[in-house]
Amino acid sequence: MFPAVWSRIEQGARRILPLATALLFILIGVVAWPIPYLGAVAPSLGLVAVYYWAIHRPDLFHLPSVFLLGVLQDAIHFLPLGLSALVFVAVHQLALSQRRFFAGHAFHMLWTGFAIVAVAAMLCNWLILSLYNGHGVAFLPVLLQTALTVILFPLPAWVLIRLHRAALSQG
Amino acid sequence: MSVRSRHHGWVSATAVSWRLLIHRFSFVFFLSLSLGLLVVGHGQPKMAEGVRTHVMDSLAPILDALSRPMAVATNVMQHVKDYVNLQRENERLRAENAQLLQWQNVAVALENENKGLRALLNYKTESNLAYISARVIADTGGPFVRSLVVTAGKVDGVREGMAAMTGEGLIGRVTEAGNWSSRILLMTDMNSRIPVTVAESGDHAILAGDNESTPKLLYLPQDTNVKSGDRVLTSGHGGIFPPNLPVGVVSRASSGAYEMTPAADLGRINQVRLVDFNLVGGAFNPIASKIETDTKKN
Repeated sequence: MFPAVWSRIEQGARRILPLATALLFILIGVVAWPIPYLGAVAPSLGLVAVYYWAIHRPDLFHLPSVFLLGVLQDAIHFLPLGLSALVFVAVHQLALSQRRFFAGHAFHMLWTGFAIVAVAAMLCNWLILSLYNGHGVAFLPVLLQTALTVILFPLPAWVLIRLHRAALSQG
Repeated sequence: MSVRSRHHGWVSATAVSWRLLIHRFSFVFFLSLSLGLLVVGHGQPKMAEGVRTHVMDSLAPILDALSRPMAVATNVMQHVKDYVNLQRENERLRAENAQLLQWQNVAVALENENKGLRALLNYKTESNLAYISARVIADTGGPFVRSLVVTAGKVDGVREGMAAMTGEGLIGRVTEAGNWSSRILLMTDMNSRIPVTVAESGDHAILAGDNESTPKLLYLPQDTNVKSGDRVLTSGHGGIFPPNLPVGVVSRASSGAYEMTPAADLGRINQVRLVDFNLVGGAFNPIASKIETDTKKN
């Protein structure tokens, strides 16, 4: 009986891995790092996780979870509630619609795809927030954050690929 | 092709198209829900604040645990840096100490003079100071917002509107106080407005953040003679902050544009002091209160 229960717990843990890693990435993204001035341009790790899991395991990473992750990111980042939720849902849809193209190719294609998605997400964020505030918000920090997120993409992607292969390759 | 396999094909095709339809519907639903949330949050900021406070309170223990290794790393790096610069730092501190001892004499003399003058005027100061020290657990800024989350909340006595300071000066104010965590809006945030005075000229202004590192000084008088290097202090107008807290130094004063460099290094904040000045009448005098607090401690 015990092995059966253990097996069920293990299966459950595997199923929530995409959601759990996305949540962890969002939290790690806001932790006070010992690098001065990083906060303003810290890479958007949550976006990397949403993009990666939407392409590789959409069956374990559904829209309601993506929406809730977005609301959570908004609440943590002191952003208008719904902003990141909207961007995450759109990124999930965009990545999902192109998954056949991205999933089967080399890593540099995944990276290029992410660069396009990240730029689109940045413009969307900036535009909505400018409309929300009634004036254009500073563009340079947004640009720097996007550049840093795209440049550092291989690092969080490597972590996700390792986890994916270790825990979900047979799933 | 047999009837059975044709039937099976029709069933799976129908299932796929249903799944596609449900997916499209849920995409439109969640997109609309996000937009709805944005609109509702704009009209009902208190609701959004409640959600944020609850989320931050729930996540505070996790963020606290995640930030501890970072805090240790920062301390180790600081120790190494201090060790390398030990001799130079020692010389600098000796010189600074000599200078500060002179200032202490001046401060004590002024304090005595102040006490005498207040006694003459029968002037009462009521500044019940309450300092709450808190550790920064999240730098939640990102490119759009300049804010921090600290490990102190209502149970520790934190209230919304409290001034947040480091040893160097003001950094911002508490905008959301949860039970165990609080959010500080930094003075550089685009929603931050602080009434200030330029110490040298006595001109009043509003310090307005714009998400850049140097906030702007707005509404200075037309004939102002503010210049670079002038000290900026809180004016106390509006009753948010008490007067005379150090805020920063004017870093640009040309062609009608005035900018200020914050006294505190806003990019390297690990610990903050939340200050409840309890503004019940009277003016706050930081030097007097400091001396008073030190005397009480001794």
